Amino acid sequence: MPTTIAAENLSKAFSGAPLFSGLSFSASRGLVAVAGKNGSGKTTLLKILAGLARPTAGRVRVETDPSGSTSPSARRLAVGWAGPDLQLYGALTALENLAFFRRAAGRPARGEELVARLRDVGLAEGAVHRRVEEFSTGMKQRLRVAFAVLFDPAVLILDEPMVGLDVEGRETVDRVVAAARERGPVLLASNDERDFVRPDQRLDLSPAGARA
Amino acid sequence: MSALAAAWVVCAKDATEELRRKVAIVAVFFFAATAVTLVSFAMVGALALPPADRPPLEAALLWIILFFAAATGLPRAFVAEEEAGTGLALRKTIPAAVVLAGKTLFNFLLFLAMAVITIPGFLILLDWKAGSPAGVAATMLAGGYGLAVVSTFLSALVARAGQRNVLFVLIAFPLLLPLLQAAIAATIEATAGGFPATALRVLVAYDGAATCGAYMLASVAWED
Repeated sequence: MPTTIAAENLSKAFSGAPLFSGLSFSASRGLVAVAGKNGSGKTTLLKILAGLARPTAGRVRVETDPSGSTSPSARRLAVGWAGPDLQLYGALTALENLAFFRRAAGRPARGEELVARLRDVGLAEGAVHRRVEEFSTGMKQRLRVAFAVLFDPAVLILDEPMVGLDVEGRETVDRVVAAARERGPVLLASNDERDFVRPDQRLDLSPAGARA
Repeated sequence: MSALAAAWVVCAKDATEELRRKVAIVAVFFFAATAVTLVSFAMVGALALPPADRPPLEAALLWIILFFAAATGLPRAFVAEEEAGTGLALRKTIPAAVVLAGKTLFNFLLFLAMAVITIPGFLILLDWKAGSPAGVAATMLAGGYGLAVVSTFLSALVARAGQRNVLFVLIAFPLLLPLLQAAIAATIEATAGGFPATALRVLVAYDGAATCGAYMLASVAWED
């Protein structure tokens, strides 16, 4: 059964001022483009979908098994997320960061496999054992993408994943998205329309209200 | 993998970070060493007190030093995650109760390391006589654990607040007062040579209640 992520009548308001309201959509596979101007609520919406923020109203369903029930811990790892707010541990190396999150989540953390994951996002051998605080903006962005797919999530949520990346980095993210959208839904938010490669669905967030 | 093993992974990560950055360790140990030294200068006159009158003064001073030294480092547990922006990654992958357990364990070890530095300083510089070393050790374990679990929980609670340092002190004072009272009472008795069974029972009960409360409220305090 493919994993489904669905939003039902989602609303979010800050201090009473609505950011978006009545947003509903459902996705089981393919790319969902999340578009909208600055301040339209893209980042907040993706955090709600990732389980990192609560909506003011409505709910998010992530169904990964046929019974339709997904435990909180299964959902935590079933949805991969990376956004501009995400920071990894500067005092640890890239490899130590990934190993820490794998181990703390109760998953095996084999060195070769994690090095391969870092290589997949374009972090060369030398960068693997360097502390993250020494990384450039682009390298940190690649590491964020590696974090998002660390648990091979059924649902992938990427917020502005191309920021700070060179051409090669953008191609790397395109490859990650292409592979993930074959397995399940990928939600990608961006201010740049070029980041949406043949989207299957589109969510437009505008001050007038969200349109799916 | 059990939750305890996952908590140990979080604790080991905090220890690795701390050993590389040395933010909390330096602050805690510098405060403890300075406080013990200053107290030893100020206590020159008190050394002439009859031995029977000294335990309350020594016990109170010891716990004042331990508490304030701990207060410089223990609240950083969750606050440091928010300041560094790493809290989101933690919340995304690890249950709040596991993070709380791991950070409590790290803070407890930090407290014990601090006690290992402070107590010999007290013994040497203040000519302190720990009449019942086992009683003092048990008090340090029970009191230190309570201090660690409450400080860690409060750190999670205030981590995303604006005036987090002020808020921490305001909430910590009433919550930790019973613990400090029991710890001081236990230390007085242990200094005088007895085993502080009653005060330790109070400390253990406090630790149990604090642990239950902290774990029941962990996700409320740490997650959105």
